[in-house]
Amino acid sequence: MNINYSRLSALIFLLFFIVYSYLASEIKVFSFDENADFNARTFPTFISYIGIFVSFLTLVLSKNEHEKLGQYEWLKVIVLFVLVFTYGIIIKSIGFFLSTNLFLMVAYYYLGVRSPKIIILSSIPVVAGLQFLLHELLDVYIRDPFLQTIGVIS
Amino acid sequence: MNEGILIGINTAFSGYNIFMVMAGCFAGTIIGMLPGLGPMSAIALMIPITYGFDPASAMILMAGVYYGAIFGGSTSSILINAPGVAGTVSSSFDGYPMSQNGQAGKALAIAAYASFSGGTIAAIFLLIAAPQLAKVSLSFQSADYFALMCVGLLSIAAFASKGQFLKAMIMTALGLALATVGQDALSDITRFAFGNINLMDGISFVLLVMATFAMSEAFMIIFKKMDISFKASDVSKAKLGSIKLSKAEVKEMAPVIGRSSVLGFLVGVLPGAGATIASFLAWGFERSIASAKDKLKFGKGSIKGLTAPETANNAACTGSFVPLLTLGIPGSGTTAVMLGALLSFGVQPGPRLYIEQPELFWAVIVSMYIGNVVLLFLNLPLIPYIARILAIPKNILVPLVLFFSVTGVYLISFNAFDIYFMAIVAFLSLVLRVLNYPMPPLILGFILGGMLEKNLRRAILINDGSFSFMWERPISLALFVVMIIIVLLQIYQGIQKNKT
Repeated sequence: MNINYSRLSALIFLLFFIVYSYLASEIKVFSFDENADFNARTFPTFISYIGIFVSFLTLVLSKNEHEKLGQYEWLKVIVLFVLVFTYGIIIKSIGFFLSTNLFLMVAYYYLGVRSPKIIILSSIPVVAGLQFLLHELLDVYIRDPFLQTIGVIS
Repeated sequence: MNEGILIGINTAFSGYNIFMVMAGCFAGTIIGMLPGLGPMSAIALMIPITYGFDPASAMILMAGVYYGAIFGGSTSSILINAPGVAGTVSSSFDGYPMSQNGQAGKALAIAAYASFSGGTIAAIFLLIAAPQLAKVSLSFQSADYFALMCVGLLSIAAFASKGQFLKAMIMTALGLALATVGQDALSDITRFAFGNINLMDGISFVLLVMATFAMSEAFMIIFKKMDISFKASDVSKAKLGSIKLSKAEVKEMAPVIGRSSVLGFLVGVLPGAGATIASFLAWGFERSIASAKDKLKFGKGSIKGLTAPETANNAACTGSFVPLLTLGIPGSGTTAVMLGALLSFGVQPGPRLYIEQPELFWAVIVSMYIGNVVLLFLNLPLIPYIARILAIPKNILVPLVLFFSVTGVYLISFNAFDIYFMAIVAFLSLVLRVLNYPMPPLILGFILGGMLEKNLRRAILINDGSFSFMWERPISLALFVVMIIIVLLQIYQGIQKNKT
């Protein structure tokens, strides 16, 4: 049996469903429900059986699929992933307006946009427009320390 | 029923809801046109926007987006041979050659008229079929619903997996497993939350859909170095040519529209099938019944070859609403996303919807027709201008899609944990998609998970812990037979594939 990405992923899923099965058996149910025909454990247990069965079949029956994962832009995606993560970290502290504009500007620049005019026009009006739509038209309040400091919102 | 239709017409024709259809069609056309972003991404992006709306208006907007996305997908298929949506791949077979022969305007007009006719005929079928099926489904019990949902899950795994049935089944099981995170609906016992307060309420449906579709699509564009840029000058009015059709051309289209509408609607009603299969079947069917002379034109700019898939994919979109509205079971990934949205509004689609909320039930059906009219009269003349959206370079588009996805999820919960979780899910989805694991079965499993557990629980408790309901109730038995046939068919196809 050759190891390929399909088999490897099937093996990971097999392990995942085995762990899931164990965790399902560990779900604490009420004592009066322990021997009931159907309790909080029953459905997850069924799912784990299905998961284990199909992952095992995939592991055994998978064929070589010639996946060449090296040819893709892994680094760029990882950087974007980190950028989204960072956006999540700073959004609470510096507010929606500033963090979103920063996120967009850095993403544009990283993906190759070099014109400051395009970077600014594709970020500030978009974010301001959305925030206006949310605040004024949809009545969705977003706390924003930056805009509060400069007196744009109360 | 007549009263219900009148209520539906009244709701759908309110100024606000007509605006919703128009906005939906317009937004859907723009998003559907962008290669990589299909109707599921388009609808996912709309969900956070609709949270303040009433359910009828939200559904009307989403139905408009669905139609618009399919129409937009056809446009990019015809103009640049880059289908924005899988359901419009077969439109490029004849649409793109027509475009290259200087008949882009005509090809777009054929696509618009065929979509309009297919959607209209299918809306009439829906008008007749939906109430009948809703009445029949009132006799369904928990065991039958459980069996029906199993058929839905199995068939979407079978039809939507491009030959990767086992991988699709893994994704279905994963979706079901994710649905069990959080509190158990009956006992309120928390499962699989690992003490994390953010997981105690379960995983957000919007988060999962946004991450697996919109965000992972954006990652995919960068990951696969997809070249989606296009020159705006290529879709200028002068280059598109005339959009007028001759009498002979209309005569050639008419019978194809009739056949493809019926075929598309029936395929759309089947769980798991949908617009992609319908459009390929219609193209193949028209080719097989064409005369030897006409057959040679297929793939080289045949009017019949473009009319058939365009009619069928729109008819299938309408057809896929039948199981959603009458049984509460989505027939496709896109309607699964809509079901999730409806559930988040507190609306439970199913046979009772027809009786208890006729304004929603009928308004959606009526608005589908309005959507077809909007697409024909609003979008067709605007295509040269709308198509300029294709000129947006990917380095601008990708950050914007990421921004709308993240914002959409954040604005619901105002919880930064959702952003981290979403990024992780999107990254994992990207890896899984590269390894040919399809995402629609995951979403369908996630959405149906709660309902499946509830109905299985009821069925087992009613039967004193026995699984005898599987063979004692005729409807359940018939549905389990269908499941066995689907599995056997997959095994047979697998064996045939191995032989070749």
